[in-house]
Amino acid sequence: MTKQKPNLNHLLQDRVLSLSLTIALLAVVLALVYPQQFATWDNFSQVMLNLSIDTIVAVGMMVLMIGGMFDLSVGSVVAFSGGMAGYLMYYHQVPVPLAIAIGMGGAILIGLTNGWLITRIGINPMIQTLAMMGIVRGFALMLSGAGLQNFPWEFIVVGQSKLLGLQMPVWYMLFIVVGMSFLVQRTTFFRRYYFIGGNERAARLSGIQVERMKIWAFVISAFLAGIAGILLSSRLGAALSTSGRGLELRVITAVILGGASLSGGQGKIMGAFLGALFMAIINNALIIARVSGYWQEVILGVILVLAVAIDQLLLRRVHRK
Amino acid sequence: MRHHALHTIASLILLISACELPPRNPSDTGPATDKKETFVTSDTSSAAEEYVMVTTAINLPLYVNHDQAAFTAWGEKTGVKTTILGPAEWDVPTQIATIEQVIPSRPAGLLINGTDPGIAQAIRKAVAAGIPTVVYDSEIPNSQRHCFIGSDWYEMGRLQGERMAQLLGGKGKVAVMGILGLENMEAGFRGFLDAIKPYPEMIYLGKYDDKANVETAARIAADLISANPDIAGMAGFDSNSGPGMALAVKEANRVGRIRLTTVDAEPEHLALVQAGVIDYLVGQKRELFTALGAQFLYDMRHGTLQLSNNDARAGVVPIPHTVITGSIEIDKNNVSQFIK
Repeated sequence: MTKQKPNLNHLLQDRVLSLSLTIALLAVVLALVYPQQFATWDNFSQVMLNLSIDTIVAVGMMVLMIGGMFDLSVGSVVAFSGGMAGYLMYYHQVPVPLAIAIGMGGAILIGLTNGWLITRIGINPMIQTLAMMGIVRGFALMLSGAGLQNFPWEFIVVGQSKLLGLQMPVWYMLFIVVGMSFLVQRTTFFRRYYFIGGNERAARLSGIQVERMKIWAFVISAFLAGIAGILLSSRLGAALSTSGRGLELRVITAVILGGASLSGGQGKIMGAFLGALFMAIINNALIIARVSGYWQEVILGVILVLAVAIDQLLLRRVHRK
Repeated sequence: MRHHALHTIASLILLISACELPPRNPSDTGPATDKKETFVTSDTSSAAEEYVMVTTAINLPLYVNHDQAAFTAWGEKTGVKTTILGPAEWDVPTQIATIEQVIPSRPAGLLINGTDPGIAQAIRKAVAAGIPTVVYDSEIPNSQRHCFIGSDWYEMGRLQGERMAQLLGGKGKVAVMGILGLENMEAGFRGFLDAIKPYPEMIYLGKYDDKANVETAARIAADLISANPDIAGMAGFDSNSGPGMALAVKEANRVGRIRLTTVDAEPEHLALVQAGVIDYLVGQKRELFTALGAQFLYDMRHGTLQLSNNDARAGVVPIPHTVITGSIEIDKNNVSQFIK
């Protein structure tokens, strides 16, 4: 058995590896340049906390993108699930577990509707999820109004407790990343998404129930967005109708950075986490460096273009071989 | 097997003991003591001393021309560093994330745009970290901020409602628009409604979300005019409502027949009042929000006014708790005084 020497091509194509190295290098540089601000426990825990909501949604988006799909309504689902749970607790004194369950149920229903309309009726995924984004945002606005606060302590505990100095959403995120990573890499059910994303026709001919799998992917994505919404509301102690606005773009950027391909069939859950982590560190660095919000938008836009360009170049190279 | 169970129980106990629950009373940040300062003070001032403004939609002309310009000018005059941070879009969760990421760098003071009640927890964190914190524009309940300086949005809505009733002689169909869901605007809508309540012949058509966008405001206003040809008046509650409504009224050739009132007094609003398209403006004294707010932060940090031997240790906040700066009313009679 001969060992293959790692070369630059291999490094570039293994996005988890290349992104891990980039993040490590970036962290070292920032720790040297801003030792008082960047390399502190307070800052680390804050970066992890801010990253947690995006990552949970990004995990669902990664499953979709592996299967060659995407969902633009996830940001609205985040606002909806938190808003629904908050509305029930605030106006109707519904017990916390039931309010959370109904919020999550609503999120699942949205995923199911998206999946069903896309696969059974044949609506273009972009149009369907774009329309759903508006519909769900409208419902979130109706539920949350000018923002709901003063939730029961039992709800606040979910997102504001700390374990080993890190706020709970960070632990939920790690649990979801590790759990989903295992499922996607090791179970037949999730491995099917690689076949569907790689060659949908071949997947269908080999007996995979593509439509049903696609519906499941939308449900999983909405379910995770629902969890993110509940956690965000609990963490903020408020349900905001503006929650999750622009999240879909951030999450798609993170997922593409993490190795997903626009044409499907590629990507790892760990890549989604690393993509979100990379963006969170960049954001944190821009705030520490006191870079204006104008430039933050520009820089994040450039990163997205670079990620897609690299994706296309690698794809071209693979096709050439 | 028994060892395994013991290990599991021990691990669980360790895990639970490492768990820290949030306080049942969120406003509890701990009392001041003789040894513990509730906010950080300094005897000397330097150019490196940094005051940070955290807002959202930082490119909104209203914010750039008034809030940010006054804050920057204050910094230059005082000889301290001023920094403005926040997302380019209207994005409250990102504003919260920005506040939380600024806290570890311990600036000399934080000036926070009170965009939504949901930012209360982030403000409490800043206060708990000992950073002098002033909220401006809209009050954030339960935030524990050291000072609030801004406008009374209910009053701004009430003023618009009263003027609208006066302009229409107490009868006619009216609608309002702004950013739905924002605490300050919702308060403004309530003020408007309360002001027109005594006039039963004034018919309220509803509130509409123009998303602080001129084109959206114009589209909504045009739709309202099409659906209600007898509409008599419209009131705006964000900076772009007025120009949008004015565009639709001009395009429908209804200038002077549909009465318009709105908030803010930017050059474009003033020009529209001068042209007779908009009847009435309620302006805010925004420069005062940030220039006075920043000065309060400076005074608090440097103990300009001492109310005890050591205010930080006594738990005394030596700046005003709440400052309402009032409104500026502009119509065709005084508009020339505001055009530069």
